[in-house]
Amino acid sequence: MIKPILYAALPLMLAGGATAAFAADPIKIGVTAPLSGSYAAAGIDIVDGGKVAAAKINAAGGVLGRQIVLVPEDDGCDAQMGAQAAQKIADDGVVAVAGSYCSGAALPEVTALHRAGIAYVLDGATNPKLTELGLDTVFRTIGRDDEQGPFAANYIANYLHAKTAAVIDDNTTYSKGLADNTVEALKKDGVNVVYYDAITPGQMDYSAVLSHVASLHPDVIDYTGYFAEAGLIAKQAAALHIKAKMMGGDATNDPTLIKTAGPGAEGWTSTTAPLPQFLSGAKDYVTNYTKAYGKAPGPYSVYEYDAVAVIAQAIADAKSVDPAAITAALHKIKDFPGITGNITFNEKGDRATAVYITIDVKNGEFVAGQKLDADGKWVAVQ
Amino acid sequence: MSEFLQLLVAGLTTGSFYALIALGYTMVYGIVRLINFAHGDIFMVGAFLGWTVLSALAAMHMPWGIALLLAVLLAMALTGGIGVVIERFAYQPLLSAPRLSILITALGVSLALENGVLLIYGPGFETYPHLVSTAGFVIGGAQISYVQIGIIFCSLALMAALYLFVHRTFMGTAMRALAVDRDAARLMGIDVERVIQTTFFVGSALAAVAGVMEGLYYTEINFFMGFIVGLRAFTAAVLGGIGNIPGAMAGGLIIGLLEAFSAGYVSSRWTDVIVFAVLIGTLVIKPTGLFGERVVERM
Repeated sequence: MIKPILYAALPLMLAGGATAAFAADPIKIGVTAPLSGSYAAAGIDIVDGGKVAAAKINAAGGVLGRQIVLVPEDDGCDAQMGAQAAQKIADDGVVAVAGSYCSGAALPEVTALHRAGIAYVLDGATNPKLTELGLDTVFRTIGRDDEQGPFAANYIANYLHAKTAAVIDDNTTYSKGLADNTVEALKKDGVNVVYYDAITPGQMDYSAVLSHVASLHPDVIDYTGYFAEAGLIAKQAAALHIKAKMMGGDATNDPTLIKTAGPGAEGWTSTTAPLPQFLSGAKDYVTNYTKAYGKAPGPYSVYEYDAVAVIAQAIADAKSVDPAAITAALHKIKDFPGITGNITFNEKGDRATAVYITIDVKNGEFVAGQKLDADGKWVAVQ
Repeated sequence: MSEFLQLLVAGLTTGSFYALIALGYTMVYGIVRLINFAHGDIFMVGAFLGWTVLSALAAMHMPWGIALLLAVLLAMALTGGIGVVIERFAYQPLLSAPRLSILITALGVSLALENGVLLIYGPGFETYPHLVSTAGFVIGGAQISYVQIGIIFCSLALMAALYLFVHRTFMGTAMRALAVDRDAARLMGIDVERVIQTTFFVGSALAAVAGVMEGLYYTEINFFMGFIVGLRAFTAAVLGGIGNIPGAMAGGLIIGLLEAFSAGYVSSRWTDVIVFAVLIGTLVIKPTGLFGERVVERM
């Protein structure tokens, strides 16, 4: 009975040998983002942003003497696909994950990765719930909707001096969450919410909803969904000669909105975390990204860049690629100089300080709008 | 009153798109008993081909009127051709196989078309040039644009033309013969293969017109756009009685109007619930749909 024992030992020996022989294997960092479906363009932009970060780190010698490699996985902006994507990259041996675009997909991902004991730094999912689940493996380089909602409401009440507003969402986790927060804050700020309802994304024609909204004569129409529908809404509102001020949340911040709506986009305002071009620290990044991919970076790729960079810093701090050690190191990160500002995570995993600005469509492009100064007054960004 | 009129026009506009696409579902079903799930994507391919031709001609500084006409005609011809090729290679070998095989194949074709366009054109949104102005007129307090009227009339004209084609030409008669009994039609000397191919060509060409019009009106096109519109058009075809041409036209307009009025008067959150409740209610009372006469074969 010697042979079976030998055979049993063989894989163990091989496995041991393999670990030793490939010690300089690249370190795998997972990237979950929508790479198919309607939001594939945003997802690919996020992966590309991560790749720029990885390339910069690798060019400087990598981390712990090893190169970083990204493992992108498609979550299709869909809860079910997100759960599968998280499982797949966890099985693939990633040491941490930097990604996300849609909160609806990110929700099952954070729990699946928590079970696997892997840290997940969110770069694009802004729903508050994600860091409110009490999971110690979840971090976020972008702000939260419950910070953006009051910001948008403040803008409507105190900058636009609107008396009435209509809020429209698209029934996705992100959009509904932002809309709820905005409506709540609007009521606090004394703005009368005359309409609050959802549309179906992908339906193309929203003129029926808009005609109804127009009959209520709101001063402002705030759409908290994504840019594809926002473009159609802006165009159709213009065709209906709706006079209300049109605005949207950070997911409407995409040049596609302007291309779709054409002249109808003029005067649109988006509330958003600062774009790469308005970040003083991101000049090199914009140059590198444009050189590598032949186009300007999208709005979320900077947060993905910082997510990858902060994970690399955590690996270096932990002097280990053990996921638990990396998570612990992420909690200790303090004032890491990211391109979106200094990064410190609070006990929930959110950025200790998050900033929002408004951007306006003027002559067919997004230009910097307003921000709140330290005294809570509205001032121009530039 | 003004809101009612506004919703009516919005509903007729979207309904026109659904009706044009529903025709393709219903014609194919009537003749080969196939629910062609790839038809929504055929519509998407039509929109992309029209966009490609239009962009190419615009780069050559061709006047817009001629460029537009060429784009529509070329998109119709090419998309129709694609429909015929799909029929020849994907469906024809399975025409006598169990129903389920050909249905699964249709889903496969749908995925192939979506991902093919994703590979060629990329995942982002392409936008049609802003050719059609949003100008219009006010009637009864409702803001109606000329292009909405154009879309409604254009699709009505196409539907009338299709009706005449099916009822007044030799090919149309052959199609109707096939719909009644394929084997008997073959025995009467009808070139069954050719008739089936013509059906796919006409259905796909109509979807291409809808695609180009959708592109011109909404500007935004994407490889995924055929899914929801295709689903709604399929619902329209079933509501009207799948296999029945006037049924598809009526079904499309009804679905469009239902959507608009439920979004305007009830809540846009409830649009799908209302549309599908009406569909289920109709099928309970009349299982063959509004205009359907034949017994629908169980899948």
